[in-house]
Amino acid sequence: MNGLPTWLTNKKASDDIAPLLQNDSSVSLESLAAEARAITLSRFGRTMSLYAPLYLSNFCSSGCAYCGYASDRATRRRRLEFEEVRRELEGMKKMGIHDVLLLTGERTSAAGFDYLRRCVEIAAEIMAKVSIEAFPMHVNEYRILAESGCTGITIYQETYNAEQYRRLHRWGPKQNFLERLELPERALQAGIKTVGIGALLGLSEPVEEALKVLRHVRHLSRTYWRAGLSVSFPRIRPQTGGFQPDFTVSDHFLARMIFAFRIGLPDVELVLSTRESPAFRDGMAGLAVTRMSIASKTTVGGYLEPDGNEKGQFEVNDDRDTKTFCKALEAKNIEPVFKNWEPVYNGPSTGQEQT
Amino acid sequence: MITITLNGQQREIQEGSSVEDILGIIGAEKQRVAVVVNENIVYPEKRGSVLLQEKDLVEVLSFVAGG
Amino acid sequence: MDSLQIGTYTFSSRLILGTGKFGNIASMVDAVRASGTQLVTVALRRYNREQAEHDLFTTLADLEGITLMPNTSGASNAKEAVRAAHISRELSGSPFIKVEIHPNPQHLMPDPIETYEACRILAGEGFLVMPYIPADPVLAKRLEDAGCASVMPLGSAIGSGQGLATAEMIRLIIRESTIPVIVDAGLRSPSEACAAMEMGCAAVLVNSAIAVAQSPPEMAAAFAEAVQAGYRAKAAGIMPKSGSAIATSPLTSFLDRTS
Repeated sequence: MNGLPTWLTNKKASDDIAPLLQNDSSVSLESLAAEARAITLSRFGRTMSLYAPLYLSNFCSSGCAYCGYASDRATRRRRLEFEEVRRELEGMKKMGIHDVLLLTGERTSAAGFDYLRRCVEIAAEIMAKVSIEAFPMHVNEYRILAESGCTGITIYQETYNAEQYRRLHRWGPKQNFLERLELPERALQAGIKTVGIGALLGLSEPVEEALKVLRHVRHLSRTYWRAGLSVSFPRIRPQTGGFQPDFTVSDHFLARMIFAFRIGLPDVELVLSTRESPAFRDGMAGLAVTRMSIASKTTVGGYLEPDGNEKGQFEVNDDRDTKTFCKALEAKNIEPVFKNWEPVYNGPSTGQEQT
Repeated sequence: MITITLNGQQREIQEGSSVEDILGIIGAEKQRVAVVVNENIVYPEKRGSVLLQEKDLVEVLSFVAGG
Repeated sequence: MDSLQIGTYTFSSRLILGTGKFGNIASMVDAVRASGTQLVTVALRRYNREQAEHDLFTTLADLEGITLMPNTSGASNAKEAVRAAHISRELSGSPFIKVEIHPNPQHLMPDPIETYEACRILAGEGFLVMPYIPADPVLAKRLEDAGCASVMPLGSAIGSGQGLATAEMIRLIIRESTIPVIVDAGLRSPSEACAAMEMGCAAVLVNSAIAVAQSPPEMAAAFAEAVQAGYRAKAAGIMPKSGSAIATSPLTSFLDRTS
């Protein structure tokens, strides 16, 4: 494909970890784990940063093959009204959450920019940190969100393989591969302090995918030197629509990938969500992962009164409540950190804009 | 005669002397030097026509070895 | 070895030479020749008739393929550095300027604040600004944003021969930089220059180590080889350091239990 940015195709930028990712690598998983653990301990200490997602709406116009909320899936659509948003967040806060990720589908008339902005404002009154995972926006829209109290955005490229990307995004505004690659940079130019990136593992060949994610982080790190950065490792989970990924990503490979990322990115936040099992999450805590979602609902709302009939965006695998999960962390001598930030620092980044 | 400061030292020179004349006095006329008069660079093509005035501060500089 | 690109200039040598501290000009010229360097830094001083027998500019201009990079040593603030840069550009015709502002004449450590200010101005005027700086990763990015053509963090204090005392900071600078990173100052021996290149430096600047060696031209040639060796090694993909951490009980046994 023409027009791929050089940072994406530059093999040299990920050469150091490429050998670690091969299944027949001479470096054992155990030694990778030990090295990742040593780096994590020294740089991050014995802590786990915790957050929870809040799905604001599941209206969506896109046709992403792998998502339970694609517009041709028979999912009940709804959105939270502002009062509901407030009550859900207050409910989450009672659970101990101070760091929320607000999610929506593609921009729709039901849940568009103004709706999102108002939700961010409400969230900023209640939570110390407010991130969003939503539809693509322009720089000035990200800036407005930054001024409204949004401190971070999460954008998954889903897959960095342009061909596969085209195939999977059956219709809708998400089809533009290059535009999606650009989104983290728009947010950073607008003064959003942190971006989280990742690929939905399984969509494309995993080793290549991992190398491209790494190149993306390194590119962002050199170009936006004030930016906070995090990498997530979402693996495809069963969802409405029954999409089956082309590639299997085993627990062993996922662990290997995360260790390699810790070694290659000693100071970047590495994130695991509740897509992963309790055993996997507990095992990875303290080795390389420094941030996890907790007690998550992937239905619209759902923290106050879980709707047993409603299907979330994906099936949660680790559904332990906050108390149980924190106990598991503490048993490993890891301190659960719900809040390490004060909202007074939440204005847009004052660094010079990159052009 | 007028008095100027040249490379930090006071000097008496003929009234109506040009920058080029001054270079001759210090033996720099054939060297690659930069000339600054009262904080203004005097380019080579102008050195014949720029005349010095009383109390002018003149710096004649060249490259030397140094890290 | 790939060429080094700075502005519109292409250099096939990644060893930059300083010209100070040699016993005499002839010795310096021999070292410059032996090093294969294509970029040489010189200072600006008042013209002195006694020293003028050896017109440095002409001497260096007579050597093939040398580009001059005047430096602002002597300046103790941005204003003086900018003035020196203007004069140097007029004198040399070269757009390169090494911004070097060290207010303390003993340790000669660079002033980050005056340096930033001078670089901001000079970059805006189209100079190829090469700032000599403490090995500070944030300062390096600030200077990059301001339009510098490279950053030149010190390995250790000028003439101290303490080598890459700032290695970890230089690694961070290299990791985050999108412009060439050139270690300048403190290198004592060729192996240190090699190490700097293996780290990912684009080039090194060496002065004292060559000037005060018993045989400057020999040392210059040795440095040239070391810079090449380090560059080639990095390009060839150096074997990673093996993890030294060994856990007492297996860390990944949980994977055997998960599905």
